[in-house]
Amino acid sequence: MRLKTAVALTCAAVLVLAGCNRKGSSTHTLAFITNNASDFWTIARKGTEKADAERADITVEFRLGDGTAAGQKRIVEDLLAKGVDGIAISPVDPANQTAMLDDAAQRTLVFTHDSDAPASKRECYVGTDNVAAGRQAGELIKSVLPQGGKIMLFVGQIDARNAQERLQGIKETIAGTTIQLLDVRTDDTDRVRAKANVAETLVAHPDVSALVGLWSYNGPAILNAVRDANKIGQVPIITFDEEDETLTGVKSGAIAGTVVQQPFEFGYQAMTLMAKVLAGDRSGIPSSRQVFIPTRVLRQNDVDEFRKKLTELRGR
Amino acid sequence: MKKDIAIFLLLIVLCAIVTALNPRFLSPANLQNTARLIGAFGIFSLGLGLVIITGGIDLSVGSSFALLGVLLSMMLTEWHLAWPLAVVAIVGLAALLGAVHGLLITRLRLQPFVVTLCGLLVYRGLARFIADDETKGFGDAAGFRTLQQLMTGSFFGVPTPFVAMALIGAVMWVVLHRSVYGRHLFATGRNEVASRFSGIDVRRVIVSAYVILGVLTGISAIIFAFYTNSISPSSHGSFFELYGIAAAVLGGCSLRGGEGSIVGILLGTTLLQVLQNLVNLLGIPSSLNFAVMGGVILVGVVGDQILQRRAARVVATG
Repeated sequence: MRLKTAVALTCAAVLVLAGCNRKGSSTHTLAFITNNASDFWTIARKGTEKADAERADITVEFRLGDGTAAGQKRIVEDLLAKGVDGIAISPVDPANQTAMLDDAAQRTLVFTHDSDAPASKRECYVGTDNVAAGRQAGELIKSVLPQGGKIMLFVGQIDARNAQERLQGIKETIAGTTIQLLDVRTDDTDRVRAKANVAETLVAHPDVSALVGLWSYNGPAILNAVRDANKIGQVPIITFDEEDETLTGVKSGAIAGTVVQQPFEFGYQAMTLMAKVLAGDRSGIPSSRQVFIPTRVLRQNDVDEFRKKLTELRGR
Repeated sequence: MKKDIAIFLLLIVLCAIVTALNPRFLSPANLQNTARLIGAFGIFSLGLGLVIITGGIDLSVGSSFALLGVLLSMMLTEWHLAWPLAVVAIVGLAALLGAVHGLLITRLRLQPFVVTLCGLLVYRGLARFIADDETKGFGDAAGFRTLQQLMTGSFFGVPTPFVAMALIGAVMWVVLHRSVYGRHLFATGRNEVASRFSGIDVRRVIVSAYVILGVLTGISAIIFAFYTNSISPSSHGSFFELYGIAAAVLGGCSLRGGEGSIVGILLGTTLLQVLQNLVNLLGIPSSLNFAVMGGVILVGVVGDQILQRRAARVVATG
C-alpha cells in the first residue's frame, strides 16, 4: 500500500510537472464537479482527462461532491476564489441551488451535466435525457411482458429528478397497455434495505411479473434477492446502469436488459464544449441549451463488447 | 425482566396485526428474509447494547462496516487470501479498533461520543480512499464459495446469521446476567466512581466491552458484505449504528448506563426489522418507513416510562 501510494504520488508529480511544461499560462482551467463519489464518475473522469489531453488550451480539475448541496457550494466557492474559467456541475438539488448557480454564472462559465437546473442561468446542459431513458426501459418492460402484468419499481429516492423523469418515461410507455405499475419502493441508497425491499415484494406480491431498478445499485439488489428466492428466470428484471453484477446478470440472461448512460461522454463533451465557448465558438450550443448524450439498451449479446470498452475506460 | 415482557407483548401485538392484514407475513419465505436481517442486525446490536450498559456509545459501527467490507472484498478478490485468514483478519481488525476506542476513552478520559464520532468520519474516509471510491464486490466468489454459502445460507431452514445471533446471544446472556464480569459491567455503568472504589478494574471492563463490540461488528460486517454482495464505500452501512442504538433503547437499555438485558436487545432488534418488513408487506409508502419506526420506538419508550412510574408508585404506597 505504501509503495503504491509513493508510486502514485511520484506519477502525479511527474504528470503535474509535465502538464505545466506543456501548457502555457494562456490555458483555461475548467472544473468538473460531481454530485457524489461512485464508479460512474470514475468513467466520466476519463472523459475529462481525454479532453484535457486533446486540447492544449484547457486544464481540467476534477472534484467529487459529497452528495450534499452544502458540499457542492463549498467546492464552487473554492474554485471561484481560485479563479477558474469554467465549472461543469451535477447539482444535487437543482431547484434549491439555482441561486448558487446564478451567482457562479455571473463570475464564470457554468455548465450543468448529468442533472440539469433549467431554471438557472447555466450556459448549457450536457447529459442524459432521463425521460427518453425511461421510455427505453418501458420498451424493455413491454418486450418481456407482451401479455401484460404487474411491475414493481425500486429506487433510492423518488424525489430525485432523474428518478422522476425515468418514472415518467416508463409510465408514458406502458400507458394504454395491460401492464400495471404496483408501486415504487425506496431505500435511501441503503443497499441492505434495497435488497430487503425486493425480497419482501416477492413475498407480498407473489404475482409480480417484472422488477425494475431505477438506480445503478438497484440492479444487483434485485438480482441477489431474486436469486435468494430461487426465482431467477421466473421474474424478468429490467435495470439501469452498468454495475459489474448487473452486467453479469444481463450476460447470464437473469436480467432482461439494462439502460446505460455514457458518463465518459459527459466528461469529454462538457469539457470540449466549454473549451470551445471560451475560445469564442458557440456553435456547439443548441438553442434548447441542452446537449443530450443518448442512452443505450444492453441485452445479453451486447455485454462482452460493452464490458471490454468499460475496462479500457476504467483503466483497470 | 418486566421491560422485556412489555416489549415482547408489543412485538406480539404488532405481529398479530400484520398477520391479520397480510397472512403472508408468516410465510416461510418472509420469515426467512426477516430472520436473516434480524441476525445480521442483532449480532452487532448485542455488542452495542453492552457498550451502552457501561454508559458508553459507539457511533462508528456503520462506517466500520464500510471499511471492513471494502477490506474483506480486497483480501478475498485482489490479494487472494485464504478465506479463514481473511475472516480472522477482519474480526481481529474490528476488535483492534474497538480496543483503540476503549483505550482512548479510559486512558485519555475522552468522551465515547467524541471518540466514536471521529471513528465514524475516519473509517468512512479510509474506506472510500482504499476503495478509490469504487464499489467493491465478490465477483464469482472463486476460492471462498464456502464462506459465501456460510454467510448467505441456511441451517435446517434457519438463516445462518440468525443461528449465529442465537448462539452469540446465549453466550452473551450468560456473560452479562450470570457472571461476575456481567455484574461489573452493570456496576460500572451505574456508577463508575463507586465501582472503582469497590475494587472493580473499571478501565478494563470498559475496554473489554468495546473489544466485544468490535468482534461482533466484525462478524456483522462479513454478513452484511455478503448480503449486499457489493460494498459501496460511500454509503454501505450508513447510520446502521442507529439501528443498534434504537434496538438497545427499545430493549430497555438506558443511555445513562447500568441498565439493559440481552433478551431486550434481541427483542428490540426483532421489532425494528418487523417494522420495516410490515411497511413493505402492507404496502405502506416507503417514505413513511422511518416515521413508522420512530413512532413505534416512541410508543415503546413512553409505555415503558409509564409502567415504571406506576410500579414505583405501587412500591412507594404499598
